[in-house]
Formats: sequence, C-alpha cells, structure tokens
Amino acid sequence: MTALSRAARRHGPAVLFVAALLGAWQGLADLQVISPVFFPAPSRAFEELAFSASDGSLWTSAWATIKRMLGGWLLASAAGIVIGGAIGSSRTARDYLEPTLEFMRPLPASAIIPVAILFLGLSGSMALAVIAFGAIWPVLLGAAHGFATSRRGLRDVAAALEFGPVQWMWKFSLPAAMPDILSGARISLAIALILAVVTEMQASLPGLGYDIFMAQRSFRSAELYAGLIALGVIGFIVNHGLAMFERRVLSWREPQS
Amino acid sequence: MAHGHSAQDLMRPAGSAQPAMSVREVSLTLGGPPGRLILDAISFDVRQGEFLSIVGPSGCGKTTLLRLMAGLMPPTSGEITFEGAPVRRPSLSRAIVFQDYTNALLPWRTVSANIALSLEARGVARAERDDRVAALLKKMGLQHAAAQFPGQLSGGMQQRVQIARCLAQQPRIMLMDEPFGALDAITRQGLQDELMALAADEKMTVAFITHDLEEAIYLGDRVFVLAANPGRVVEEIEVGLERPRHQLLTREDPRFLKHRHRLFGLLQGH
Ligand SMILES: Nc1ncnc2c1ncn2[C@@H]1O[C@H](COP(=O)(O)OP(=O)(O)OP(=O)(O)O)[C@@H](O)[C@H]1O
Ligand SMILES: [Mg+2]
Repeated sequence: MTALSRAARRHGPAVLFVAALLGAWQGLADLQVISPVFFPAPSRAFEELAFSASDGSLWTSAWATIKRMLGGWLLASAAGIVIGGAIGSSRTARDYLEPTLEFMRPLPASAIIPVAILFLGLSGSMALAVIAFGAIWPVLLGAAHGFATSRRGLRDVAAALEFGPVQWMWKFSLPAAMPDILSGARISLAIALILAVVTEMQASLPGLGYDIFMAQRSFRSAELYAGLIALGVIGFIVNHGLAMFERRVLSWREPQS
Repeated sequence: MAHGHSAQDLMRPAGSAQPAMSVREVSLTLGGPPGRLILDAISFDVRQGEFLSIVGPSGCGKTTLLRLMAGLMPPTSGEITFEGAPVRRPSLSRAIVFQDYTNALLPWRTVSANIALSLEARGVARAERDDRVAALLKKMGLQHAAAQFPGQLSGGMQQRVQIARCLAQQPRIMLMDEPFGALDAITRQGLQDELMALAADEKMTVAFITHDLEEAIYLGDRVFVLAANPGRVVEEIEVGLERPRHQLLTREDPRFLKHRHRLFGLLQGH
C-alpha cells in the first residue's frame, strides 16, 4: 500500500502529462484541422499497434531492430573499452591512435553508410558495422578517461601484492574505470538505436525502421505512428534497464550509512 | 602466547641473530640533476620480532624510507636486505599499511573482498578464502561490516580493513606508515592496543612510522628519531617498558616521561 502510494506520487505527474498529451492529440485529430492522412488520431495508432501485435509482425520487427541495436552496441562497447583502455593507460597507444581517432570521430555515421555498403553490401553486417562505428565514441572516450585517471595509491597496493600487469588491468584499472565506461555506454546505446533505424531505412533491412519508412511511402500514417510509439517504448525500456544495471554494479558509489 | 617478548629478548644486543631487515648507508636523491637529497646515509636494523618505531617531523622522509624498505622504489645508493636477500621489488612477505587509507582500499570491493585480495594474490584456493576472511574479520572486529563498502565505513574501520588485508598476506614484516595519523584520539588508542596485542600474538616484526612521539614510545621496543633536510637517523632509544602496556599507567611511567622529554627535545632541534 505504501509502496503503491509512493509509486503513484513519484510517477503520477509523468503519467498525467502523457495522458494530457494524448488527449490533446486525440482532440486535435478529431477536429481534423490537419488531414488524417498525415495526422491520425492516437486511437488509430494504438489500434494499428494492437493489430500488428496480434498478427505477430510487431514482435518480429521490434525484435529485429533490438537485435541490431544490441549487436552494434556490444561491438561498439567491446571495441570502445579495448581502444579507450589502451589510449587511457598507454602513452604510446595514445600517440599512435589519437590523431586518427580525432579525425574519424566527427564523421557522421550516416555518411559512413555508403562506404559500408560498398564493402559489406545491403546486409545485416553492414548495419552492425555502421552502428558500431557511430556508437563507439561515447564508450571509447569514457574508457579513455576512466583508465587515464591516475591512481597512484592503488598502483602501490597492486605492486605490494605482487600483481602483474594483467591482474592490474583486471582487478584494479577496469573496475576503477567502470563508472566512466558505463556512463559512456548509455549514450552509446541511444546512438545504437538511432543508427539501427537509419540503416534499416537506408538498406531496406527488416525492422521497425523499415516498417516506418514503408508506412510513410504508402501514406499509412497510423502505422507510421504505431512504429514510432514502439521505438519510443524500446528506447525507454532499454535505457532504464541499463540504468538499473548501472546502479547495481556501481552501488559502492552511494554511501548508505 | 601473548608473552612472546621477554625483556631480555628485546634487549639482546644487535648481531646476536640475523636481523629481519637491514638498511645500510641508504641515500636517496630525487629530481634534478643535481636533485634534492631526501635521505642521507641511513643505516639501521629491524630485529627479528621487534616493534620498531620510527618518528620524525612531517616531510623528513618517513614515507619515502618506508617505500624503500618495501621495495616500491630503489635507493640512489646503499643497500637494503630483508632476511639476507637484497630488496629489489615489493614482496608479499613485506606487508605495507599505507598512510592514506582512502586510496589503499578498493572502493568497489566489499570489506570481505578487500581482505580476500591478499588471498587472491597468494593464490589461495577460492574455497579456502571464505574461511580465512571470516577468521580475519573476527580478529579485527569487522564481522558486521563484512558486506559493506569502504566508502560506508569510518576511518578507523577502514584502517582495520587495511590491517586485516595485510595480515591475510601472512607477511614476515609489517611496514606501517602513520596508520593512525588521521584518526581521532579515542579510535587511535583503541587501535594502538589492538595492534600491540596482535603483534605479540603473532610475534610480528613491525616497522611503525609515526610523527607522534608518544605513540612511538608507547608502541615500540625501540624508537628511531629522524631529522629533516636531509632525512637522517639522529637518535635511537631502547624503550625497555614491560608489556603488556597500558594507556594510562605506561604513559605515566617515569621512564616513559624521560623518553618523551628526550625525544621532544630532539624533534624541536635542541
Ligand atoms: N616524488 C618526489 N619527488 C620529489 N620530492 C619528493 C617526492 N616525494 C617526496 N618528496 C619530498 O621528500 C620529502 C619527504 O617526503 P615524505 O613523504 O617521505 O615525508 P614524510 O616524512 O612521510 O612526511 P609526512 O609526515 O607529512 O607524511 C618531502 O620534502 C617531499 O617534498
Ligand atoms: Mg608520510
């Protein structure tokens, strides 16, 4: 009961705002100020959503997009931690890599798509490569910063306990850099979702992005909005999931006593 | 067991047995060239099983000397040997309790996991670790803090964790750098007595650094006094107060007061 009322107090305002927004949308659509061809009522969008959920097409598409996003994000995170870790902990690695990375970083990921298509075709691996390229930067910079923070005290501890370089990385450096890595990874995940949708649109790969694109092409506006709502829900859930994971892993950072 | 040190043991002449650690003509110059002479031709022995206090004013090179003894850095000249072998790098057989406990514990590891770090370093099997950790938690009065993170503990508790981690190493010497320097007086006295009991129980060899001369006398079998600029040994005293010691009675003992007067004068530069 108290948990319920606490949840109500905490989330009540947000729920109210969403309800008001939907109400306004519905009202405007009912007035038909704008043609329903471009601006369908939310009730129609939700009907469409329910329909595609019941015939299974929603789940197939959503799952395709989620897999694409997660795949690209995992690639980006793994590569970002390795490269960022190298830059952060080794002067030599930084001297070699940093200028090239500084050159590549401002390149918009969507501008990479033609190159990726040239090499990998209109394929899922092309999409993964583009997503990984675009999403790598926040996690890479986070890792570089996290590993670069000097921790002389901990170095002495590692040396005193006769830990070698591998164990130094594994037991000291990586966990110490974890907060920076995770905050980068969260931004990377948002970018990965964006790029999953963009590559689907550009390369006709199955997924919500492709569905939205096709709906727009054939003026099925209710379907278009249904796709957008589904994307929004995915982004929301995934971001919250990662935030919860972060709180768990980094629980040591919140003094509780 | 607690009566491991008899007065005779403590006052046996140097050289009757191999010293645990021997520091010979150790000098250190930092920066430069020409650089600054931080430690100047320091020589002394740490005897087997003794509690050696090293006291000196802030900045005289105490931490630096301890780092040399640990093998964390090499001297510019001179030699340090531990159990007859030259000290070239840190070793699990020499445990270090760092001055700055906030940077010596791994903040993302619980108290238990911080203590287990030493066991991991020694390659103790996972199955065995829990029992060892439990025993050390009990010994250091940390049972109820086992699952907490260092950031949630008081300074005194954190320093207890550091000591427990050092004990888990099963070292043959403990090198302690002002371990109680940042603690309040009450906590400090409590830990002093715990440490003394521990050292007696385990017949530990301890080199204990402090800038508090009363602490140096109260804890030590011997006290070395360092002077600054450059750091050098200016005096050595045998404390000769019987153990177990007592926070009030020992500190009121005329011999304690005599040592205190003498060291006070030296530290003031008279
Ligand atoms: N890396 C270094 N390079 C140059 N000088 C240093 C370095 N580390 C320490 N020093 C100098 O060496 C001297 C001794 O420092 P040290 O930290 O050993 O003193 P301390 O006796 O431990 O002081 P405190 O009681 O404040 O801890 C100081 O004057 C300090 O400035
Ligand atoms: Mg010091």
